Order: sequence, then C-alpha cells, then structure tokens
Amino acid sequence: MTWNIAKKEIVSNLLSYKFFIVILLMVILVFTSFFIMHRDFKERLSDYHLIKPGPEDPIAVNPPNPLSIFVKGLDEAMARSYEISRIGIDVKAGKQSGNIIFSYFSAPDFMYLTRVILSLVALLFGFDQISREREKGTLKLMLSNPVSRAKVLIGKWIGNFLCLAVPFIFVTLIGFAFMNLDPGVSFESFGLVRFGLILLVSLIYISLFLSLGMLISAFSKRTAASIVILLFIWAIVVFIIPNLGTLVARQIVDVPSVRALSEKRDQIWTREVLLGIQDRNWSDHYNRISQENNMLEEDYRNKFNRLIRFSKNINRISPVASYIYAVSDIAGTGIGEEGSLKREVIRYKNQIFPDVIEQKENFPNFSYRYRSLSQVFTRGTLFDTAWLLFFNILFFALSYLGMVRYDVR
Amino acid sequence: MEKPILKAHDLSKRYEDGVLALDHLNLDVRPGEVFCLLGANGAGKTTTINLFLNFIPPTTGTCFINGIDVTKDPLEAKKYVAFVSENVMLYGNFTARQNLDFFAKLGGRENLDKEDYHQVMRRVSLQEKAFEQRVKNFSKGMRQKLGISIAIIKDAPAILLDEPTSGLDPKAASEFLEILGELKQEGKAILMSTHDIFRAKDIADRVGIMKEGRLVLERTREELQYEDLVKIYIDYMRAEPLAL
Repeated sequence: MTWNIAKKEIVSNLLSYKFFIVILLMVILVFTSFFIMHRDFKERLSDYHLIKPGPEDPIAVNPPNPLSIFVKGLDEAMARSYEISRIGIDVKAGKQSGNIIFSYFSAPDFMYLTRVILSLVALLFGFDQISREREKGTLKLMLSNPVSRAKVLIGKWIGNFLCLAVPFIFVTLIGFAFMNLDPGVSFESFGLVRFGLILLVSLIYISLFLSLGMLISAFSKRTAASIVILLFIWAIVVFIIPNLGTLVARQIVDVPSVRALSEKRDQIWTREVLLGIQDRNWSDHYNRISQENNMLEEDYRNKFNRLIRFSKNINRISPVASYIYAVSDIAGTGIGEEGSLKREVIRYKNQIFPDVIEQKENFPNFSYRYRSLSQVFTRGTLFDTAWLLFFNILFFALSYLGMVRYDVR
Repeated sequence: MEKPILKAHDLSKRYEDGVLALDHLNLDVRPGEVFCLLGANGAGKTTTINLFLNFIPPTTGTCFINGIDVTKDPLEAKKYVAFVSENVMLYGNFTARQNLDFFAKLGGRENLDKEDYHQVMRRVSLQEKAFEQRVKNFSKGMRQKLGISIAIIKDAPAILLDEPTSGLDPKAASEFLEILGELKQEGKAILMSTHDIFRAKDIADRVGIMKEGRLVLERTREELQYEDLVKIYIDYMRAEPLAL
C-alpha cells in the first residue's frame, strides 16, 4: 500500500513540469559548480607549486585538498605557508590566484548548492503534499479506502524523496566522474569514501527539508499558506540562525583581536631585541621570544576554540550549521581539520626551532596527514549527522501528528 | 430480512464551534437498497457521510459498516465501503486508467489488468478514447463517471455518494442514476445524499428528509406512491426551525 502511494508520487512527479525544471536546475548547477570549483582548485594548486618549499626549507605548506572542489570550507586558509624563523611562525598567504570573486559571493561549491538551493527544492517538493491533496479533494477519496494516514504520509515521503535523491545522486556522480578524468586531481580511496559520505550526509540534509515541507503542509489547510510559512522558516534556518549564533557567541566569549595579538608580539620582540643589544646573548632572547609567543598563541587559541565551540553549539539550533560542520569535516576542510593542521605546524616549529636559531640548514620536510574518518566522526561529525537525523525524525513525527489530526473535509 | 450493511445508531455530531450538525440519527441500509438523504444545505447529510468514512469522530453514537464499528476499526470498515463525492477530483496528470489503477490498489484490488479497467469504464459509458487520456481535461460528467468506476472496481458491498449528480446535465445525471440502479440490482447498499427530489424518488427504496441534523421523515418507495414527496419536502423546509 505504502509503495503504491510512493509509486503514485513518483509517476506524478515524472509527469509534472516541476520535476523537469528541478532536474534541469540540478544539472546546470552541479556542473557549473564543479567546473568553477575545479578551475579554482587548479589555480590554488598552481599557487601551491609556486610557494612549495624546497626540500630543506623550514616552511610548512599543505597542498590544497582535492575535496575542496566540493566543500571549499577553510581550505584556502589551510593552504597558506607557515615559515619558521627565529621569531616564530610567519604566516603567508599564497599568491591569491584563487578566484577572488568568491570574496564577493559565496563559493558556489557542492555544499553551498545543497545547503541553499537543494534545501529550497526539497521544500518545494514537500510544501503541498497534504494541503494540495485536500484542496483537490483527492485526499478524501484516498482516505475513504482502507489505508492509514501514516501509510499515506510514509508513501508520499518515500516517493518524493526518491524523486529528489535519484537525480541528485546521478547528476553528482556524473560530475564526480568527470573530475576524476583530470589526472591533476587525485582523489584516491581517501577521497572516494569521503565523497560518498558527503553525498550521504547531503541526502539526510535534503530529506530533512522534505520532512519540514510535509510538516507545514500537514498543519495548514491551504497550499498558499504553507509556502509562505516555509519560505519564512527557510530564510531563518538557512541564513539568519547560522550568522546570529556567531554574533551572540562573540558577545559572550571575549577573544582578543588579531591586531592586539600582533601588537603584543611586537612588544615582546622589541623588548628582547633591546635586551639582546645589551647582553649579546641572542640565543636566549630568541628562545624567550618563541616561548612567550607560544604562550600568547596558546592563550589566544584556547579563547578562540571556546568561541568556536560556543558558536557551533548556538548555530546547531539550525540543522544547516550541523550540515556545514559535518560535510566540511568529512572533506577535511572544516574547523576541526584547520585546528589539527595548526597544531601540526606548531609541533613542526618546536621540532626544528633549535636548528633555526643555530642557523643550521637541512630541515626535515613538513607533511600533514589528514585526520582519519574515525577521528573526524568521534570529534563532532557523528553528533552532527545524528543531529540531522534527529531533526528529520522530529519533523516527520510532527507531520504524522498533523496528519492524524488533519481535517480532510 | 438481511442484516444492514450501513447502520447509524444514535449518531450525533457537535462541532467545536458548538454547532449541532447531527442529532441522534438512526438509519440503516440493507443489501440491494438505495437510501436517499434529502435536505437543505447544512441539514447534516454530508456530516453523516463523513462520519461513516471516519473523517470526523462522532460526539455520540456509532456507525457500523458491515457490522464493524467505524470508530473502533476504521481501516477494516473501509474495506466494505466505496465513496463518490460531489466533485470527483482525481490526479489530473494521470490518465483515467492510471487513476482507476491507483484507487483500485488502495481499495485492495491488486492484480487487475488493463482490460479489467477498460471493462469498468465501458460499463459507466465513458468514451473509449478517454481511457488513456489525462483526466485534467475531463468534463465534470466524465469525472463523475470515473468516480463511480472507482467505486465499482472496489467491489465493496456499500457505496456512499455525496450529491453525486449535483452540477451534471440531465442526460449525464440520468446515466449516472442508471448505473446506480444496476449496482442496486447487484446487491449493493447505497446511501446517497442529494438535493434532487425527483431523481431520489425514482431510484430510492427509502427516502429520508433531514432538517437541522435530524432525520425528520422517512418514507419507503411504496409509501411514496400515495404521497407527493415534493410537497412533503417543501412543507418541511418551510416549517419553523426545530426546537433543539
């Protein structure tokens, strides 16, 4: 019975112009996104080859992550060069040949498409599921048969989910296959598994908005009312809460500005240089500069991490935030990975610092190993994925409540 | 005497706004019998049908379909009833056959083939060329025919019809009632709400007049041979409101 209803939904969608517009939109958006982001990645890769240190330079640089084509996240920041000198770590950006237009607009990566466009598309699939059937009178005819309201709801959900998911997976995999044709972009098994997981989390995210659409539809009698309410909720969930959370956290957690940190560093530098001129014991002074800078950095990092944790938790009121955290961490371009890279850079600095002071040559090369998936999942991604599932189940359960009480007359 | 397929026992419905839509209704419809409910708008005809279909819960009383309490076991009860509404609205993008197929399966009729559907549509005199046409271009008469096809293909012992001929031209309405006559001959128990006194008199075995939620008068076909139903109806409608 459920499958009959699901099949009806699938056929109904296949026969509607809405479905073909959505497919066309998906094809255009996914391919445009992959094309633009692929170009952007290649430019950043060229940058990396330019700033790539020689075999014995005391410089830590991480190459751009191929998965940043799909989830750019913080990859640009992670691909900066960290030069280890006697006064500490000197951070240099690449040559900025990456697409500067992204400073004006959000990078149109796969995550953005899913987060903004496909969430809206999913709402458009769900918003009229119950109310339109009521308006048309077909709900009455349907429920005059021995079919429970739960089965109607589940059937509709499955049918519409398949109509969204199948073309989405198909188009995305074709795009991904095209990316693999470029020998300059190597995903290896690391990237393949992670891409699969990104796709899976994206499907959970899309289905969540389908459930939300059905929820509102199950509580409103008129289709026009459903769409207005849903657009309002969508704007709040997708745009307002994720930005508001960060602002609120900033008001509560006090983190010094980068400028203040830089001024403190300068003060330490000036003080130690003046003392060095007097006693000529430069080695001690360089060590002191490094130690104090480390303490400053650590203090800053602790406060900054507290701010991030706080912001993340506030933002998680919106499932959009959980989606961003989950997919960016899986791709290795998230906040967690960036923090891990910085810790590795500091470890590298501490390892080679005595040799830098003694002005030795032949430093070991820096290489960064991305966190394993088990580390990624245990440090937040599992929670975020479960949180998305929770929202999904909650919305569906509420829409069931609405459906049970729905006045079909 | 055969047991009634449709039975309302002491059935009342008071809506949340306090309106008493149905007041202690008792009626039954037996196999091979057509019971027509007459009455002005708001008399409680559609509320009765909605209660039988469990679309709304009764305030007091019980509806039985084939002996099954509709409130207690609605899904089991709905296996034995088919429904045709005033405006049969179907899936516009589907063809007549696809609509029939979908609702037949919902009604528990699996394993029917194309010819089975065509046969039912022929029976209700739907034009052959319309079988595989999309329903969105159908006239109201064609949609009502398809609606009765859905009821026929379900093959339930009871049929509920809510003003099914309203808005149909006289020819289409006559054709529709002819089909109902055939279904009656097959032993279906039919409960139909209608405003059409003349056609009700033609087809009904029993007629009930409803006013302000009450079944104020019930007449059999035999009794109506000696009485003027139109006059009775108008007299009731003109009478003072009931003291509720």
